[in-house]
Amino acid sequence: MTLFTALFSHYRRHPLQLAALALMILVATTLWSGVRQLTEQARTSLAQSEQVMAGRQQVVRVDGAGLTVGDFAVLRRAGVCVMPWLEVPRPDAVGLVIGIDPLAAHCFGEGGAPFGTPGGSRPARLDGKPFVDIAEAARLARQLPAAETPPALVLIAADDTLAAALPSGYRLASVSTGPDTGELGESFLLNLDALGILVLLITVLLLRSVYRLGIVQRRDSFVLLQRFGVPLARLRRLLILEILVLSALCIGPGLWAGGWLAQSLGQGFGQSLQGLFDAPLYASPGHWGEPALIMMTVVLLACLADFLVPVRRSHAPRLRSYPLAGGLLVTGLVLALLGPSLVLLYVAVAMVFAGVGLLAPLLIQWLAERAASMASDPLRRWRHRELAVMARQLALPVVALQFTLAMVLAVQALVTTFEDTFDRWLGQRLAAELYVPVPSGQPAEPAARWLAAQPGLQQGGAWHRVIRGRARVAVGDKAARPVDLLAFAPASSLVSDWDFLATDGNPWEALARHDAVLVNEQLARRLGVGIGDRLALEIAGSPLALPVAGIYADYGRPAAEVLVSGALLPAGFEAEFESISITPGGLSREALVGGLKQVWQVPELTLRDNAEIRALAGGAFDQTFLLTRAMSILTLVLAAIALLIMGWVFFTGRAWYFRLLATWGLSRREVAAQLTRLSVGLTVSVALLALPLGIWLTWVLVHRINPLAFGWSLPMAVYPGFWVELIGLSLLIGLGIALLMGRQLRAGAALPVSASSLSGGER
Amino acid sequence: MSQQVLEARELSKTFVSGGEPIAVFSGVSVALAAGQSLALVGRSGSGKSTLLNLLCGLERPDGGVISLLGERFDSREAEAPRQWTQRWARLRRGRIGVMFQEANLMPALSLLDNVRLRARLAEQPLEPCQSWLERLGIGELAERYPDQVSGGQRQRAALAMVFAMNPDLILADEPTGSLDRRTAEEVTAELFRLQAETGVALILATHDAELAEQCQVTLDLAHGAADLTPGASAGPAP
Repeated sequence: MTLFTALFSHYRRHPLQLAALALMILVATTLWSGVRQLTEQARTSLAQSEQVMAGRQQVVRVDGAGLTVGDFAVLRRAGVCVMPWLEVPRPDAVGLVIGIDPLAAHCFGEGGAPFGTPGGSRPARLDGKPFVDIAEAARLARQLPAAETPPALVLIAADDTLAAALPSGYRLASVSTGPDTGELGESFLLNLDALGILVLLITVLLLRSVYRLGIVQRRDSFVLLQRFGVPLARLRRLLILEILVLSALCIGPGLWAGGWLAQSLGQGFGQSLQGLFDAPLYASPGHWGEPALIMMTVVLLACLADFLVPVRRSHAPRLRSYPLAGGLLVTGLVLALLGPSLVLLYVAVAMVFAGVGLLAPLLIQWLAERAASMASDPLRRWRHRELAVMARQLALPVVALQFTLAMVLAVQALVTTFEDTFDRWLGQRLAAELYVPVPSGQPAEPAARWLAAQPGLQQGGAWHRVIRGRARVAVGDKAARPVDLLAFAPASSLVSDWDFLATDGNPWEALARHDAVLVNEQLARRLGVGIGDRLALEIAGSPLALPVAGIYADYGRPAAEVLVSGALLPAGFEAEFESISITPGGLSREALVGGLKQVWQVPELTLRDNAEIRALAGGAFDQTFLLTRAMSILTLVLAAIALLIMGWVFFTGRAWYFRLLATWGLSRREVAAQLTRLSVGLTVSVALLALPLGIWLTWVLVHRINPLAFGWSLPMAVYPGFWVELIGLSLLIGLGIALLMGRQLRAGAALPVSASSLSGGER
Repeated sequence: MSQQVLEARELSKTFVSGGEPIAVFSGVSVALAAGQSLALVGRSGSGKSTLLNLLCGLERPDGGVISLLGERFDSREAEAPRQWTQRWARLRRGRIGVMFQEANLMPALSLLDNVRLRARLAEQPLEPCQSWLERLGIGELAERYPDQVSGGQRQRAALAMVFAMNPDLILADEPTGSLDRRTAEEVTAELFRLQAETGVALILATHDAELAEQCQVTLDLAHGAADLTPGASAGPAP
């Protein structure tokens, strides 16, 4: 038998431990690499959106019709430098690919290099990340399911293209790449990085706890081998080799599973990116070497850190940890309250987690010891003392479960708060029953006059025009910034239920009197605007200065927006989009549609039911938060399984004491009851300690991170229902441990084994 | 006339190893009255510990009948295992004290709390627990934990635990096997002194011939029967 075989024989006796170790490495790799892959993809996509598309212009038809290959031919024949651009979802993976014509791109300068094509006279080679040849994109577009809207062809114009150079029937328009999100994109990516790190931290804690348990059990063998003359350095080398082999076997499948996870969550994630930043999720290359190397290093550090820092074993609570943990906790809390940037906030969260992680097992241990000293019943005293031992020996999985529970609690509260708020907000925005986009090239005023003349609309009905465009806003002596412009003409009762974060009296009345403007929260935060502040607006070249009468909540997008009365729009204002929101009241839908068709002289009219839009938005919302929900739930499942396994292994080591109780005459039921009270006592204590951390984390997410990352805040809400669910889950884990142990006690020998096999650390 | 505590007749036990039945012993009979002591001797594997396990209900015999403190356990009767186990558990909890080679103390409890725990399970008063430790010479160590005292002191604490439950029968399996000779003699002396004081019946499994001689009767499991009931004599099973 070789030395390695002798060392590894431990896992032959404890195959479950080996399986748990392998599972931890695999799942840690899966979760982390999954999040990492999506983050990298998002980072690339945002960068490509910024670099490739920002500031570019496109050619559109004056009549509003979609572009065809014929239009491309007309424009090129007229000497206009345009390039076709077709964005298509990839059928086999996450993200979009962009079809371009590399030959057409050459007139853009630098041989079309900005679009990923090599310069010079060589034929372009496109790698699909994200650019492909337009023929390939067209082929992919034909494969799309019939239910999906076919992608529209875009013709990108060279930067120096002049409007005068265009043939008649065409005009220049800016490429819509979403609003200027400033640093919000970076914040979003930082959030994703933080989620990935948190998931990695929790899984690494679990991995370390399983590995350390094995090391503790193998300590006697190591001592024996040293007595037989095996140098300690050689033992360590073999242990490093062992964990390297195991990592090499598990990290590969973990990375593959991470890729699969990223692909599964990609759709929802893509919607998040599109919804939050108007940036599509482009296909990006997958890297394997770097994540594998990082993961290998993390696994080695997690498992073999004790080689670098010797472990101190002590029966007494580590009193020296209290000042350190307390210091970290207090500093973290203060920093979270006052920290001005996201990076500092994450540092604060890390400090609070570290402090809580150090304190939680000590606190459970201290409380259990205190309860033991106060208990007059010797059996109760024993149970409390055992709980104290468990809290110390299972510190790592206990902390991992506590972190996970807190994370799940916070994410659940955040998502539910957002869901409720978003639903209410959507209800206010879609208060009208119907929504009619003004047909391209048609004026809205005749329709407005026709609607105002309908007596049926006066009977319980309401309507207003919605006009969207762009404006520039300046506050004080700062430079003007482009913002979204929203105008209502008139502001009807359909908007009277809007939630305002701050108002000055009745903001709608002020708007109707043309005395004031309203701004969304994003604009207020970005420009530091409050109620009563005077904004210098520039709409279609016309200046306008009005005070702010209200700040309204505007969730799910980062754009700054100013809301003015439609009557204030100058004559030259070009609306980017116009629609009419209508609740018909006494007017029938048929009469409404017929009347508007006649006014606009169009054969067909688009009429959208807002209830359907609301339902669709709800579905999109669920997809948007799929990633966060899935990650938190997966991590919770992992932590629960880990604690279950660790608890089971721990109790297996303590089975002797329960058998002793049986020898002393406790019935099986009584022994099982003691076991259950102990395991449930531990897991429920963990859940109870996770609650304040989870509530605090919710507050940080809602009030500190969200405004910094996305530009808007959410109301803080707590959901005791979640608390009950998580405590229930902890209860189940505790019962699971007791059940597994109960079976083991029934199946095992009736007699307690020799006490000499237990050495140290039990008290 | 002393009250009969135990009567076991024709006990047999077989284990299965590698699919083959291995008879540990068969036809063993034992009878014991209050205040009497019996030494179980025999080479390793002769079944001393197994017999003790049968006599406290930790294992079920394949054959034979045990009458103990008014309870009758007949291996031929189809008594449900659960009921069988519960009846034995009741006896072990309050009337049978079991000692092992190792002290078998709860490491998370002090010596005094260990004694109190055992007394509480036997529904005995907790107040005399400290005095039991003092009678065994370890009163000043009452608040120490098992890993803070010597092996001999731990075994004394185990003795205190057994006597604190005020049992009718003590089963001791090599109780001094892990101690040095001098400590073993001290612990044994205490055991016999307290046994004489309290009038409890004692069965002691041991390899130590000197220790066995201190018991009133010695049963060599090679022979298979011991009957200390007044009027009867120890000897092989008929």
